[in-house]
Amino acid sequence: MRRFLPTSLIARIALLVAAALFVAQAINFGLLLHERQKARFALVIVPATTRLADAAERLLALQREAPLQPGAAKNRFLSDPRTHVRLHAENPFAGETEHRRPDVERDLRRGLEDAGLRAGAIMAALRPVNPKRLLDPKLDPLRAERLRRMGAEMLVAVELPGKGWLTLATPWPRTDLDLIWQLAAQTLILYVVVLVPVLLVGGRIARPLRTLTDAARTFRPGDDTAPIRERGPSDVRALIAAYNALSRRVTSMLDEKDRMLGAIGHDLRTPLQALRVRIESVEDEDDRARMVDTVDEMSRTLDDILSLARLGRPSEPNTDVDLGALVDAVVEDFRDLDHDVTFEEPERLKMRLRPTLMRRAVRNLIENAVKYGGGAEVRLIPAGERVTIEVCDRGPGIPPDKLEAVFNPFTRLEQSRNRDTGGIGLGLALARAIVNDAGGTIALVNRDGGGLIATITLPR
Amino acid sequence: MSEIPHLLLVDDERSIREPLAQYLTKQGFRVTQAGDAESARARLNAYAIDLVVLDIMMPGEDGLSLCRHIRETSETPVILLTARSEETDRIVGLEMGADDYVVKPFSPRELAARIKVVLRRWSAGGAKQHGPETGSFAFAGWVLRTGERTLVDREGVSVPLSTGEYNLLHALVTRPRQVLTRDQLLDLTQGREAAAFDRAIDNQVSRLRKKIEPDPKNPSIIKTVWGGGYTLAAEVTRL
Repeated sequence: MRRFLPTSLIARIALLVAAALFVAQAINFGLLLHERQKARFALVIVPATTRLADAAERLLALQREAPLQPGAAKNRFLSDPRTHVRLHAENPFAGETEHRRPDVERDLRRGLEDAGLRAGAIMAALRPVNPKRLLDPKLDPLRAERLRRMGAEMLVAVELPGKGWLTLATPWPRTDLDLIWQLAAQTLILYVVVLVPVLLVGGRIARPLRTLTDAARTFRPGDDTAPIRERGPSDVRALIAAYNALSRRVTSMLDEKDRMLGAIGHDLRTPLQALRVRIESVEDEDDRARMVDTVDEMSRTLDDILSLARLGRPSEPNTDVDLGALVDAVVEDFRDLDHDVTFEEPERLKMRLRPTLMRRAVRNLIENAVKYGGGAEVRLIPAGERVTIEVCDRGPGIPPDKLEAVFNPFTRLEQSRNRDTGGIGLGLALARAIVNDAGGTIALVNRDGGGLIATITLPR
Repeated sequence: MSEIPHLLLVDDERSIREPLAQYLTKQGFRVTQAGDAESARARLNAYAIDLVVLDIMMPGEDGLSLCRHIRETSETPVILLTARSEETDRIVGLEMGADDYVVKPFSPRELAARIKVVLRRWSAGGAKQHGPETGSFAFAGWVLRTGERTLVDREGVSVPLSTGEYNLLHALVTRPRQVLTRDQLLDLTQGREAAAFDRAIDNQVSRLRKKIEPDPKNPSIIKTVWGGGYTLAAEVTRL
């Protein structure tokens, strides 16, 4: 049931208003029906009972005068054209059971009792007016008009015990159907009058909210999007203003972080550079080479830390790149340094990504493979919606329980890996951050027969 | 130009500037130092400077602004010192007419080598246009952007190159229609980056051809000159 309920604000408001309107209309309908019933009682039942009671009284009086001439009584009685009340020996409407109206029967009995008449069985049935009857020239035109307007007539038969049945036919308003139509039309008009403005106003509220949602979802600090225009009702405006302030705060905090990282980077790089310059004055060739290596290593580490910290807001834009050539270029750099890295250059594979960062992610994976496995086999597999880059080595692999942990910054597997191989465990963390930023995933799996497979999966 | 090239070294960090000046002096340059843009301007006016080595990141007026000033007022070549993270600054610097750059932490030897290359080109004359090796080069439907070190095809898709491939292509593109011997190419390509690569030039050329030639078996862009070396046969336009 729940899932059929609309979830959006405007739909809920509309539904609520519609339901409330419906309930109000139903109450209205009930009250109206009640009112109509009372009116009907006054307009139809009261005259009918009066006429019936009157006829019954006259009948009794006649019978008292001439008890032995029922035919005379009947004749006189029938000759009165105004009342339309007739006397029958048997109930002529006994067949009209289809539209019996017990409520009318009850009202009639009450009316007759009030008039002091003790009636036997009472029967009231509704009969639609036959259009042919209206054309009957013997019919009183006034009555015909009434019948046509009302659309039905009520047949009433009252048993006077031991004397026969008094019958009466009286035009009856076919109110119920009319009333329902009338009410339906009314409800429809009400819905249009009320719901259309509600939907319009709702839309005016919902639109800025939707803009706000989109802005919050696509929020990327530092991409210099203009603040959202404050519009809509005051509470929505206040919300937008609060969001704008929040995004400004986030951006300024990140700016602050960037400034700080820039300062740290500058302050650490400067002494490194100073050291690097002074190393040139070291006489011993071996010493000098080793010192240069150390400084380079420190500088690379510093770069990694700064890149990782800055990755939330990369300065490099997304560009169309041939991913095959990108992987190939990285592989080639390793081969130029005489590392055993193989790669089958694939077909051109156009992707949209940040090339320098992606190059770095791939480089970090190959670097690990070279470092721990002595070489790497690199594969690029385009498969439908995804592209997979696999870097496989024949190194010692990683214990299964550590496969996830190695992605955390500063995690190294000291027991199995030599500290001399360098690095502070940022390579995989950086690679994962880069790949995630590009909307992809990165995973490590131990390889059958020893070694490790690192996989980058990117959406196309 | 006097016998000994006169360098102006502009860096706010004394800990780098002074030992570097010392090193460069030992390498046979005359070095004048400046700690900020203002004193650099004063030195530029006071001496006949042959080349400026300029740190981009400086407090106060930064290196880029000073570079612009130098370019507007004189033709003295400029080499930028940049950090890896200042890539955009570097690109702006190169577009502004800096002749070369080195990335911190750089090896002083490499800097000295670059200085010599730029000075040699300068004194060889003819090269009155600044930064002849920087900027963007269009050839045979490709664009080589030196600032970002990328190769872009007709459709705007960039085709990443390895360091070796880039250096080789750069050497060829900046010397179109010149025959370059394998030794020359080895010299030119290894001079640019500290990372040594000693694979045969032929190998690099065939890889490059695979990437940029419409038909690698029948090259039309990088042509082999029998007994000589290689030459870039396409028209090169500087952008």
